[in-house]
Amino acid sequence: MTEYRVSADIGGTFTDFVFEDEAGHTRIGKVPTTPQNPSRGVLDGLNAELASPGEIGFFVHGTTVGLNAFLERRGARTLLLMTAGVSDSYTIARGHRTHLYQLQYRKPEQLVPRRDVHEIRERLAWDGSVIEPLNEDDLQAVIETVRAQGVSALAVCFLHAFTNPDHEHRARDVLREALPGVSISLSSDIAREWREYERASSVTMDAYIAPVVELYLKTLRAELSKAGMDKTIHVMRSNGGVMTDRIARDQPISTLLSGPVGGAIGCVQLSKDTGRPNLLGVDMGGTSFDLTLVVDGQPQLSTETSLEGLPLLMSVVDIHTIGTGGGSIAWIEAGGLRVGPKSAGSQPGPACYGRGGTEPTVTDANLYLGRLATNSLLGGRMSLDAEAAGVAIAKLARPLGMSDLELAEGVLAISNAKMADAMRTITVEKGIDPREFTLVAYGGAGPMHAVELAFELDIREILIPRFPGTFSAWGMLRSDIRSDFSTSFFAPADSVDPQAMRAACRSLQDQGRALLEQEDVAPEEMVFALSADLRYVGQEYTLSIPFTPDSAVADILGAFHGAHERRFGHAQPQNPVEFVNLRLAAVGRLSRGRQAFAFTPQAQSPVVGERDVTFASQAVRAKIYNRALFTDQSRYAGPAVIEEESATTVVPPGYAFQLDDWGNILIQKEA
Amino acid sequence: MADGVRGASPITTEILRNAFVSIAEDMNAALIRSAYSPLIYEGKDCAVALLDQDGNVLGQSLGVPLFLGNLSLCVQTTAEMHGWDFFQEGDVIFLNDSYIAGTHLNDVTVIQPIFWRGQRVGFSTSRAHWLDVGGKDTSLSIDSTEIYQEGMRWAPTKVYEGGKPRRDILDFLRRNSRFGATLIGDLHAQIAAGETGEQRLRALLDRFGYDTVQAARQEIFGQSERLEREAVRAIPDGVYTAEGCLDNDGVGAAPVPVKLKIVIDGDSVALDLEGSAPQTRGSVNCGFTQTISAARLAFKLLINPGRPVDGGTFHTLKVAAPPNSIFNAQEPAACAWYFSSLGLLIDLFLKAMAPAMPDQVAAAHYGDSMVISFNGVDSRTRERFLVIEATTGGWGAWARGDGQDSLINEVNGSFRDLPVEIFEHKYPARILKYAIRTDSGGAGQFRGGNGTVRQYQLMDDANLSLWFERSVTPAWGLSGGAAGLGPEVVIQGPDGAEERLLKVNAKPLKAGTVITVSSGGGGGFGPVGLRAADQVRSDVQNRFVSPAAAAATYGVTVT
Repeated sequence: MTEYRVSADIGGTFTDFVFEDEAGHTRIGKVPTTPQNPSRGVLDGLNAELASPGEIGFFVHGTTVGLNAFLERRGARTLLLMTAGVSDSYTIARGHRTHLYQLQYRKPEQLVPRRDVHEIRERLAWDGSVIEPLNEDDLQAVIETVRAQGVSALAVCFLHAFTNPDHEHRARDVLREALPGVSISLSSDIAREWREYERASSVTMDAYIAPVVELYLKTLRAELSKAGMDKTIHVMRSNGGVMTDRIARDQPISTLLSGPVGGAIGCVQLSKDTGRPNLLGVDMGGTSFDLTLVVDGQPQLSTETSLEGLPLLMSVVDIHTIGTGGGSIAWIEAGGLRVGPKSAGSQPGPACYGRGGTEPTVTDANLYLGRLATNSLLGGRMSLDAEAAGVAIAKLARPLGMSDLELAEGVLAISNAKMADAMRTITVEKGIDPREFTLVAYGGAGPMHAVELAFELDIREILIPRFPGTFSAWGMLRSDIRSDFSTSFFAPADSVDPQAMRAACRSLQDQGRALLEQEDVAPEEMVFALSADLRYVGQEYTLSIPFTPDSAVADILGAFHGAHERRFGHAQPQNPVEFVNLRLAAVGRLSRGRQAFAFTPQAQSPVVGERDVTFASQAVRAKIYNRALFTDQSRYAGPAVIEEESATTVVPPGYAFQLDDWGNILIQKEA
Repeated sequence: MADGVRGASPITTEILRNAFVSIAEDMNAALIRSAYSPLIYEGKDCAVALLDQDGNVLGQSLGVPLFLGNLSLCVQTTAEMHGWDFFQEGDVIFLNDSYIAGTHLNDVTVIQPIFWRGQRVGFSTSRAHWLDVGGKDTSLSIDSTEIYQEGMRWAPTKVYEGGKPRRDILDFLRRNSRFGATLIGDLHAQIAAGETGEQRLRALLDRFGYDTVQAARQEIFGQSERLEREAVRAIPDGVYTAEGCLDNDGVGAAPVPVKLKIVIDGDSVALDLEGSAPQTRGSVNCGFTQTISAARLAFKLLINPGRPVDGGTFHTLKVAAPPNSIFNAQEPAACAWYFSSLGLLIDLFLKAMAPAMPDQVAAAHYGDSMVISFNGVDSRTRERFLVIEATTGGWGAWARGDGQDSLINEVNGSFRDLPVEIFEHKYPARILKYAIRTDSGGAGQFRGGNGTVRQYQLMDDANLSLWFERSVTPAWGLSGGAAGLGPEVVIQGPDGAEERLLKVNAKPLKAGTVITVSSGGGGGFGPVGLRAADQVRSDVQNRFVSPAAAAATYGVTVT
């Protein structure tokens, strides 16, 4: 029997699948997401492509269940237990504003209202020593509230627990014994790092989504088992690694951003395959444009992120999002033409969807200019209304005194320039020159805009991976088991106690090994990567510097000064440096099961037609290619449109393309 | 095209409009990325703007809202002093004179003219707070009485001329700061930001050509001006006034009055500060330039707050302030704490406009940065330490909602409080309490936000400085709402003796002393009788209002 490696990316509208058999053949699938019970959609998609889910040898999926519970505020009522006297640090939320001209500014709405924040008498000093022991009577009061009011989740965040978690541990033991079945999350388990507000915000998020994520994973397990799939269920996590469903139930927060990171990991694989160390990955969909970077073959990770203004201390692949997509609406303000930020979304959607939208969008402009055909979406299962697009465009062109064609081109030019501006700003922030990068475009709309975006940024090479519309799911199959651990480690660099540092690293390694063992990773597949967060004394923010257990402190310092120079443009080797945190990435290598792409003979030429496509105000006859019919690495010149099930790639005049060894479309500027 | 200018299509215009804003963001990113001082890369105490050849804003990015439109004024003032030909290719000009730039001497403005094919086409400008410019005290003095005590004072000065550094000037700067290397680093970060703006503007000119960029610029300014005039015309004509006062100038005891009159006439707004205090001995003075910026910020809070600022903005606003007043200070007035007066000016502007714009205004907020600072020697490390903290407070309620609790004041930029865990690690003191100050917001149909309580216990001896304001004019309510509570600071010595103070300079205190600072609440909006009982009950459950106050003020009993 064939065994498949299968990934599922459960998005808001569609669930995408990638199936790989042992010979390396790949198929994709797409079914509507079933938000009430996402397992249904997963089973629908599996049944559509497999004889039985029993054929699955390896299964990984990305889920938005936790994220949606948060976004729709459908999580569990959570009580937050904090140190008496300073519990309002949670509600004060650091007291800053993110809009400077807004008199009626409101802070982001917290998951736990102030009345559900309970003060517990206990106090540790800055060094972790006990000033006031844990008052267990205060815990009894909480226990009574939980029982009386049917609360299902508790979050605990005590001051300085990142230095000494004893009080949090004791509180957990007392609460767990009295309240079986209630989910309990500790700040010291989520992140052993300082900053009580950020830790409290993270631990409440974990507690808030825990019951929802647990129910979802239980249901999925039960339904897959019933259908004959008894292999381990893997879940994509925000750090770009995967974990088993058992670990996911213990750390629901790490599933939060499990969808889009697949694309970033896919880019890492492309970087390895094609020997291009630096990639700029862009994912353009209906409502948003996501940008991710691969630098020197590595994904870019942050140790903290935020959702709707709520900070989260967790390891996460950096993905920058702006609100420009196919659905962005063009409109007039004070006699000027604007595009976005308002979006037609998928309901009513662009005018050409024929669902009642009357305002022109980016997708309507693409259709008007021939870049999209009326049968381009969902492999032709969805047909577009060119007339409706034309009417919407004309309606806006008239008051501006422009021709319809000028307006349609203008909408694309403005949206492309906006996306390019955002890409430029992000690369400037990181001290990166985008001209040294290759652009990778995916998502439904990415390949249509890719070449023009590259042109704006002076990028000469563009890669369109196979199955661009399900690239995130493909990336999930390229991932390893990964779990990140951290511990605070404050020490001036000139007086680090090497023994203390070795002990801290050992303890991290022990935690990492224990987790990988739980994940059934064989010892020879375990890889541990240490890094240290360092900074100049006086700074708040740190840089993470990789090191090994044998590294001398002087080497770590040298690497820090170098990294500072690259990131910030200057280094001050004479200034004192301090260690802040130590981190460990525990990786369990998974078999990739990947083989080289092979061309297969086709009865038909890849050219399947021709149509007029407008470039630089000129309608030119472009050849239409079917991506599945290429049989070799011939080079073709633009103008061209390459169609496939999940996306449409546009190659303007002046560019040429060919398939590479891995089946990616490589587009290059002609000299 | 509606009424655009020949030469720029709506498409090019919109691409350039977005690009100008984006260039300013890139300049800001370049500045923050390469700054040496945490005040800039963490505190974001900076501002950048890309200007056209006449000094009008093309795009700006601000960390500090109070710097609104100020960079433009600095370039135009420099041109008035020396003529536009003063700006030559490859020059870098800097200035910090309070009477020219308006703010305290620590804020340094850098101007780089941008040339393209031999022609001046614009300016890259930035302002950043330098850590130390050589005043009598490190960083800011609380008790300065003359500008000469506050640091080096520079009129517009070329530090690069025709692309060549003036080593004598750089050397002078380095030698006159306690943190000379950082100062030079920050100057170069500002220059790097300017170069980013220069490259990007030149690239736009290469791509679109001079005439097109000029035409688009005109059209962009025209769009902004049309929107602004429309918004101002919607305000009923009339004369609107308000007054209030600062507690004192930090040196003397007398209150410092601020008085303003706003005349709305069609599409013009005229602000007159006649009747405000003559310049004071203490340092609550500012140059007129910064008064204009503060008026622009107040204006911006009410008129099109969501729109970007450019050369079409603020044409409807005129500002007048009598010479030798706190708002138009002349040599040798001290200016270190200039922002306290401006914060009050902004609040009063909103108060004056309340009858005309009841839905846009809010009641007053707690009003000032409420700074506590102490220093001494940390017995854990035997090293000197210096704590400087601003305190959050309550914001004013408005026509459709409550004021926000514990939020940083208007004129501050990207402030975040220091987490207790970091504080206790860094400094020999404990934070015993950090809490929202129950019942401190003004009552009303919509409740003013509550202030904040922060209680410090010293573990070592220390010298304490305080700058707490607005006890004489606490945050007023609007439309029948009540005022918020004012600030309060209580110092309890190890012997139990209590003392109340709001401003003090370097007061010696013993280890074990507990300092409790409480910031004020925001004003309420509308009569208390209209507040829904459910909202009162919710406030009591959330401990924003005590059961006693709920009964006494709102007549709602909560058990």
